[in-house]
Amino acid sequence: MNKPTGAVISAKSSTKKSIIDFLEKAMDKGVFDAVIVPMRVPAGDSFAYVLIKDKSLFKDAFPIPPVMFVQGAKAVSSVTRLGKGNMKIAALMRPCEIRATIELAKLGQTDLENMTLISMDCPGVLPTSDFLSDPEKGMKQFDEAAKNLDDKIMRPVCQICDKSSMMAGDLHIGTLGAKKDTFFVISNSQKGNDILDKLGISLKDNIDSWHAKVKNISEEKLKKRKKAHKDLKSEIGGLDNLLDAYNQCINCHNCMRVCPVCYCRLCYFDSDNVKHPSEDYLQMAESKGSIRFLPDTIFFQMGRMMHMSLSCVSCGACEDACPVSIPVAQIFSMISDETQGLFDYVSGRSLEEPLPLVAYKEEELHEMEDAND
Amino acid sequence: MTKETEKFEPRIVGFLCNWCSYAGADLAGTSKLKIPSSLTPIRVMCSSRIDPVLVTTAFLHGADGVLIAGCHPGDCHYDKGNYYARRRFAVLKKVIEGLGLESDRLRLSWVSASEGQRFAEVINEFNEKIKKMGPNPIKVKTSL
Ligand code: SF4
Ligand code: SF4
Ligand code: SF4
Ligand code: FES
Repeated sequence: MNKPTGAVISAKSSTKKSIIDFLEKAMDKGVFDAVIVPMRVPAGDSFAYVLIKDKSLFKDAFPIPPVMFVQGAKAVSSVTRLGKGNMKIAALMRPCEIRATIELAKLGQTDLENMTLISMDCPGVLPTSDFLSDPEKGMKQFDEAAKNLDDKIMRPVCQICDKSSMMAGDLHIGTLGAKKDTFFVISNSQKGNDILDKLGISLKDNIDSWHAKVKNISEEKLKKRKKAHKDLKSEIGGLDNLLDAYNQCINCHNCMRVCPVCYCRLCYFDSDNVKHPSEDYLQMAESKGSIRFLPDTIFFQMGRMMHMSLSCVSCGACEDACPVSIPVAQIFSMISDETQGLFDYVSGRSLEEPLPLVAYKEEELHEMEDAND
Repeated sequence: MTKETEKFEPRIVGFLCNWCSYAGADLAGTSKLKIPSSLTPIRVMCSSRIDPVLVTTAFLHGADGVLIAGCHPGDCHYDKGNYYARRRFAVLKKVIEGLGLESDRLRLSWVSASEGQRFAEVINEFNEKIKKMGPNPIKVKTSL
């Protein structure tokens, strides 16, 4: 596709309200039968993804909430993991959630045929624990920070996210570079074009200011990202540092369970393959002097990196779920940039790009062969 | 110290493809070529069978080196398994290297069934290199 085109929409009251109106209108016209959106829970102190059929519930919908309790790709795959169904569903999520959804589609864990993915410019999310300590305050701080494009209070991986406006789905809602009380609707696929066509929105407006702002922010973030990864590597790289970094790991596997792209229905590390008879442990203890329990902490982390770093979207869900504050997502984002870089792959960038491990080129990676220096 | 290194006999785990490298290793043996006793061969049906997690298992349990050997590109019994294996190996190596661990302890080589001589060269060369590197420091770490 060429440079995506878009339309300028003017917001009646707030941008949030207008985005919801847009979804409602699409449901009225039968473009979607249902919508997956974040919603503020009745108590007001938390957010959840819901599948909305009844339009009157749109009043509580909350695009781009301040936190990410559940990674959106998990919500989408719960709905479509057993097949596409016959309802047309739209999902409004953050770019990393859309990208994870695309990875899941490639992994055969979700079916996107009847699904429309709508992303939005993302200012980041607050770490869950920060938000929970005072939701009211969190809400205010988030709004303020989002308005000022200030990422200091966001998840550490959000602070180094150079893909916070990446278009990977069908439609994208852009707020960056938009004039006051307007936002952009941008199409990124044929499906997106068709939908806007049905809604009578033509893609003829100039959205250069969005492109320019996005370019500017992602370049800046990319610089920050490279530096952060370099620093992290000197902090946790090497056997002793690595063991130190994971020393407090309690082996709960939360990081894997909340990860949108850890795709196995039974994780290898929960399987009998990693359970050994006591003689084996005794033997290990004999050769090492002693061995730590629960075992396999580092093994689990490395296994996860080998299995899914190619699909990791650096969303930070794992880190937020870690009860002992290990910077798992920062470590994963560092490793996954490297593994994806091997194949010039960017997780979730496009549905058409094959997963690196199910593709190959005859002439490549010769530096991996016989390497002996 | 020097004495210890001199004495150091590596343990090398070799994942060898049944159709080529394992046969190549066999041929090296029957041709009475010198194969270091450090090698523990594991026969697999194709180099693409080797999930990086298996290699990691060996590595974290203290193998001093891990060799993965399969058919030359284009000659895989299952057509293209070794191309996939090469990509997996690249990921494996990148992860290990990315964590600042010794990725040099891992090696991928192509050896056909008729290349007994080449197999002997590959394993001897690798063995020498591992000897120089010394024992895998992971061996003595309790907190893995
Ligand atoms: S490993 Fe962590 S950062 Fe990467 S996709 Fe999974 S949850 Fe997100
Ligand atoms: S760690 Fe590996 S085996 Fe476990 S769920 Fe993730 S990808 Fe699957
Ligand atoms: S969530 Fe944290 S403590 Fe739990 S397994 Fe992952 S790294 Fe370890
Ligand atoms: S059969 Fe030997 S590498 Fe596939």
